[in-house]
Amino acid sequence: MKMTELKAGDKAEIISFKARGEIGARLISMGLVKGTRFKLIRKAPLGDPIEIMLRGFFLSLRLSEAENILVEKIGHSHSS
Amino acid sequence: MKEYKEISVALTGNPNSGKTSLFNGLVGRYLKVGNWAGVTIEKYEGFLKYKGYKIKFVDLPGTYSLTAYSPEEVITRNYIIEEKPDIIVNVLDGANLERNLYLTTQLMELEVNSVIALNMYDEVKAQKIEIDFKQLEKLLGSHIVPTNSIKKEGFKSLLNHIIRVHSGSLTVAKNKLFFSGEVEKNIERLTDIIKCDQNLANKYHPRWLAIKLLESDQLTYAAAKERVIWLNIEKELLDIIGKYNDLFDSSPAIIIAEDRHSFIRGAVKETVQYPSEIKKTLTDHIDSVLINRVLGLPIFLCLMWLIFQFTFKLGEIPMFWIESFFSFLGKTVTNIVGQGLLQSVMVDGIIAGVGGVLVFLPNILLLFLALAFLEGTGYMARAAFVVDKVLHKVGLHGKSFIPMITGFGCSVPAFMSCRTLKNRADRITTMMIIPFMSCGAKLPVYILLIGAFFPIAYAGNILFAVYLFGIIVAILSAKFLKTVVFKGESEPFVMELPPYRMPTIKAVFIQMWIKAYMYIKKAGTIVLLASVIIWAACNFPVNREINKIHAERTHIVQYNQMLNDAQKEKQFIEFGRSDAHSAYYDTLQSLENIRLSKQLEYSFAGKTGKFIEPFIRPIGFDWRIGISLVAGLAAKEIVVATMGTIYSLGANDEGSSDLADKLRKDKKYDIATALSLMIFVLLYVPCLAATAVFHKEAGAWKWTGIYISYSITVAWVLSFAIYHISKLFSV
Ligand SMILES: Nc1nc2c(ncn2[C@@H]2O[C@H](COP(=O)(O)OP(=O)(O)O)[C@@H](O)[C@H]2O)c(=O)[nH]1
Repeated sequence: MKMTELKAGDKAEIISFKARGEIGARLISMGLVKGTRFKLIRKAPLGDPIEIMLRGFFLSLRLSEAENILVEKIGHSHSS
Repeated sequence: MKEYKEISVALTGNPNSGKTSLFNGLVGRYLKVGNWAGVTIEKYEGFLKYKGYKIKFVDLPGTYSLTAYSPEEVITRNYIIEEKPDIIVNVLDGANLERNLYLTTQLMELEVNSVIALNMYDEVKAQKIEIDFKQLEKLLGSHIVPTNSIKKEGFKSLLNHIIRVHSGSLTVAKNKLFFSGEVEKNIERLTDIIKCDQNLANKYHPRWLAIKLLESDQLTYAAAKERVIWLNIEKELLDIIGKYNDLFDSSPAIIIAEDRHSFIRGAVKETVQYPSEIKKTLTDHIDSVLINRVLGLPIFLCLMWLIFQFTFKLGEIPMFWIESFFSFLGKTVTNIVGQGLLQSVMVDGIIAGVGGVLVFLPNILLLFLALAFLEGTGYMARAAFVVDKVLHKVGLHGKSFIPMITGFGCSVPAFMSCRTLKNRADRITTMMIIPFMSCGAKLPVYILLIGAFFPIAYAGNILFAVYLFGIIVAILSAKFLKTVVFKGESEPFVMELPPYRMPTIKAVFIQMWIKAYMYIKKAGTIVLLASVIIWAACNFPVNREINKIHAERTHIVQYNQMLNDAQKEKQFIEFGRSDAHSAYYDTLQSLENIRLSKQLEYSFAGKTGKFIEPFIRPIGFDWRIGISLVAGLAAKEIVVATMGTIYSLGANDEGSSDLADKLRKDKKYDIATALSLMIFVLLYVPCLAATAVFHKEAGAWKWTGIYISYSITVAWVLSFAIYHISKLFSV
């Protein structure tokens, strides 16, 4: 599934991503690579962007950027 | 004098790793702020004398990586490659090692001499994270010194390490990061090809260059393309990249990045012990209130409102002091040197000019105090998170919000606060639309015109409509600029939301002071110059004829008064004497006003006003408005004062009822003119102070040119439309 399909509180693992160029580079340098586990913390009040937690820090990204990331849901814990 | 040996040190690290705190703590007041060539990113330098060494520090911009996409990253890597600092101090947030080490792996690839400052060590201990320093040093090939930048702990040890690594008395074997089988082979082959070109291999570390080429890094491509060897390199590269695409549906860039991350994961697993139970942090708790789906927006709006009030309402008080001081100074000077040209240069030119610069200072100080505080706490990134959706719709970035709000107060600090926008397209677009946010100085113009032409009952609504109109124009302009001028360029919103922290008072004040200093230094000179130019334009050339007539008339009035006085004295009439006197002074004043009005008409500004009349007639203005608009370039509130002068009322204060009366009675003006003028003043080029700051911040004549022509065009077109539409309705 796409990262955008997750709900607040879902935990997931990245299986692949298609982003190239600047956005791709940004995602990579923030550690969003294959195998990374993260949790979707919340969506912004207007529904976009989203906030995730990975490797102990918080990251926000727009839905249009998260679109490119394929993930596998591995669990759910009560939303933040 | 003691001879100091010099060591050059560059600080690198992720944003929020505490790099600025470390730098400030180390160099203290020996701090110099400049700009990196060609970009609006501040460059901090400083030095420190320690054990016979003069250690020079450069604080490189905070980055997460060393790609060629952001200017921060380009500055950092160019500095390391070209300036070759002796030592790189890599500042890490010890509580967030995994992410911070990504930059470290790339520094390893550059094979520079480095020392790692494992910062926030207090938090590491508080969170009961245990680190095997020895083993981690071995893996990273660099010494690690735990530091706490707030308490300045570990600084001595860091300095000792710098000196000893520099002198070679302390070494760790550099560790090479090996990539997975196939990639490693590709890197080696490319490295061999690069080594054939001695010059290229001397300039860039061959292995690093090979890695970057495999990552399709644009800057290294450009550098390698200039060499003959490029033919061989390109052939090999195309081969490799094609293979990855076909076989793995991937690219070497991604595999390299994944390998770096797995190296980090392995290193962290081997050397860092996290407590088994991870508790909810303070940040979790604060965020679950501050940016939750219901309260997020209202809280954000409240905070923005507070900042605005803080900046402009609180700022009014010191602004008033500054204004009073300068008007006092002006009067004093007038008393000393007497009326005349010298007085006019000093008072209306220089004192008014300097005053005009300094009067913004309270706003700038307060705004940047508030912004530095919000930035320091970590809320700023959240504010962008909360409103990004709205702004992204029109092609802007979440962070554009603060400059836009600030624009309602004054464009000068608003332009300066655009620096938080890292992407050039986002920043310039935001700057272009800021002037459409109606600033405080335009208010007197609206008040005058609304007062003169509209019934009181509608006044509030009309004023509101003018502001709203500005916002709509701003939004449409952003959309337009983003689709036409900056196609597709936009900063990704992949952004860290840093943990909440209480910034130290010192750090906040340093940030505020740096901004204020830049403003005074840069805007100060230009604005001053500009004010003097505008002053000269309004006063020159001097028309002798006008002065002569004025002198004659004054003389007659004075003579009559003398006769009068003599008569009254004879009759011992004390009563009514003061009355007669004030009438006398009024007459003199109105003669002086007539002279000023005629002189203004005759001056360059007046001639310009007349010259542009054909251009502004279609939007309902005559030359008198033309002059006011020209003079209004110095500052928008001057539009009103100039109109006062032209109508021989003296330089009137805002919304004077005399002037409103005159305007109303003038047959040439009607509601259509008033609306058109309000729209024009709202939209046309902001004052020179703002334009000067715009130019400095945008950094190229091209942008300033676009900005001036764009705003004038928009102003003219929309005023034209409004003028003719309202003419239709008012018949
Ligand atoms: N607890 C703790 N906080 C720190 C330390 N160093 C910096 N900070 C705080 O971390 C935040 C970010 O620091 P700053 O120097 O602005 O980071 P930069 O973005 O890397 O320049 C600020 O609120 C600092 O007060 C440290 O060693 N320990």
